[in-house]
Parts: sequence; C-alpha cells; structure tokens
Amino acid sequence: MKRYECFQAIAPLIKDELFVTTAGGATSEWSAVRPGDGNFQVKTLGLCSSIGLGLAIAVPRRKVFVFDGDGALWMNFGSLATIGLHQPKNLIHICWDNREYESSGGEPTVSRAGKINFAESARAAGIQSSRSVEMAKELVEAVRHALDHDGPHFIWARIEPGRTKVPPLPYDELENKYRFIRYLEKTENIAVLKTPLPHSYEETPRKT
Amino acid sequence: MSSPERSRQILAGLKEAGINLITSVPDINLLDLINLLYEDKDVTHMPVGREEEGIGVCTGAYLGGRRVAMLMQNGGLMNSCNGLTTTALQFGIPILLLVYYAGDMGDNAFHMLGLVTEPVLDGLGIKYTVLREPAKVKEQIAAAATAAEASKRPVALLLTRAVL
Repeated sequence: MKRYECFQAIAPLIKDELFVTTAGGATSEWSAVRPGDGNFQVKTLGLCSSIGLGLAIAVPRRKVFVFDGDGALWMNFGSLATIGLHQPKNLIHICWDNREYESSGGEPTVSRAGKINFAESARAAGIQSSRSVEMAKELVEAVRHALDHDGPHFIWARIEPGRTKVPPLPYDELENKYRFIRYLEKTENIAVLKTPLPHSYEETPRKT
Repeated sequence: MSSPERSRQILAGLKEAGINLITSVPDINLLDLINLLYEDKDVTHMPVGREEEGIGVCTGAYLGGRRVAMLMQNGGLMNSCNGLTTTALQFGIPILLLVYYAGDMGDNAFHMLGLVTEPVLDGLGIKYTVLREPAKVKEQIAAAATAAEASKRPVALLLTRAVL
C-alpha cells in the first residue's frame, strides 16, 4: 500500500482530530487529502512524536494523531519511551515506514535491513496498544480501534516507497502556527495567544 | 549542592510568571528543584530522555494553551540546538529555557561547556540573563517570561550555583 492510498482510506474516519505531521511527503499528502487548520507541520526531523505528546497532554479531551516516518522515529527513538512513561490516552502515533529517507533522496533507514520491529519496540516501551499493519483494510481497522479506545496507540504501517504528486502546503510555518492555534482556541474554548498591550494602553499615573 | 529554599523561590517565581508545564532532564545542581517539581500539584512536570524531546513537548503543549519551560544543564542546551532552531525559533514558540550553567567561573567541571554556552545562545539569537543573585531571581524569571511571550521566542535563564 502507498501512503497516499492509506490517507484516502482513513480520511473518512476523521472528524475534528488534530494532526502533527513529519517533514516531507506525509505533510503535503495529508494536507491534500484532508486540508484544514487542525494540521500542524513539523520541520525538525524526529520531533513530531514529541510535539504530538506535548499537544496531547495539553488538550486531553482531543485525539491527537502523529504521522511519523521510519527515519524520523529512528532519530528520536527515545520518544517512544517518553510516550510510554507519560501514557497520553488521546495519542495515536502512526509510523509510515517506507524503509527510506524519502525527502533526502531515498537512502536506506534502519528499517531497510529488516531487523527492527517498531511495533514491538513501542510495546516494550510501555505503549500497550501497538499494531503492525500492511494492508489498507488492517490500517482502517487499527485506526478505528484507536479512535474508539483509550491509548496511547502506536501503529506501524509498512508502506511502499513513493510520493504522490500533490501541491505543497500553501502557507509557511508562522501562518500554520497561527491558524492551528486560532482553530484550537475556537474549538477548545481556550486562550493561547495573549493580547499584547502597549504601555500607552495601560492606566499610568499622570503628573497633572 | 543546591538549597531547597532557593529552589522553592525559583518554583514560586515560575508559577507567578504563569508557567504551568515544565519538561526536564536532571543535573545534580537541579536536584532540589526537580524534587519539588515531582511533588508539585499545580505544574505539570514531564521528564524526558533527551533535551531536544523537551523542546518538542514544550512546543506541542504551548500550541495547546500551556505556558512552558524546559529545565536542563547547558550540555542539554547543546543537544537541543536543532529543535530550538527549526522548531522553536522557526515557528516562533515562547519557551523559557532554565539552564544550569556548568563550567561557569569557579566551576572546575565542564569548563568547555562553560566556554561555549553564551556564544551559542548569541549565535542562535536567543536572549538570555545569567542569574547570580538569589534576591533577584523572581523578578528575573518574570522578566524573561514576559520577553518570551512578547517576542514569541525561546528565552534563556542561565542558573549559576549561587541561585540554586
């Protein structure tokens, strides 16, 4: 199965869940399949699982998906242990494993040698709900299970390499951040951004 | 060794500044402060394995409405440089960096870390203050939190042994 087909298969299950997507094809393809201000792109290789963890802790009533890659997860493998430690019930961590650094030219990742089992690694780190899927049907079932049950959940999705040609994300990091925050403020009824008040706005004692 | 009373002052300053989620990686000089965090009921304490993870966790938590800080040694500041650059600075995320200043004047360990810490912060364009006087700590924490919030960037406080 290709990543884009996987995205198309799971998109109908999605309502108002939040998405933290790793740098590269996962970001542009997911944004093409399911555009929206609830998508947050990650630029630092490996950091999407950590950003997703922090977000999940901050908004515990909302399901948070992390779309990770095999190269990214290798870079921040310790994040599995940290997720296992903090046990966010609302986190759904999917590793889209194409066995290569797709955005860097297709060099092999640790996964290419066929030694590592990311699903077993996640379970051993304390993420009890951990599955390995190779067929779109299994993936849909795993995502449905994760949406209906408390987590944290980990899904090792073993996919074919290859990126589908889609337009890039139409805005930069700052606009992405502000859209995401405003969307969360509205839907979670929280205040994230404070109104910046200049000194001249504040009541200051006057001499006369 | 650190003093529980001085650490209590730091935690009180952080709470007054509105900080309500702190990620951490230990250092012996941060022991009292970290012990206080484990006991505290108001601040969410999230230990992480490596400091760059902490920058990620702080970023996600900030997006979800938390006021965040990362507690670590300056060696950890070096570990987190890419996360600070391509996440915290590139997206504009206010994170208070509470950094134990190993290798500071008078410290015979980690002298190389002491040498590079301030130039690295300068290079990253991260504003910082070196905390040396316990009596000023609360005020300096409040000022740094305001600077981070207003600039939407990480701001660092270098914690010397005198304030811990």
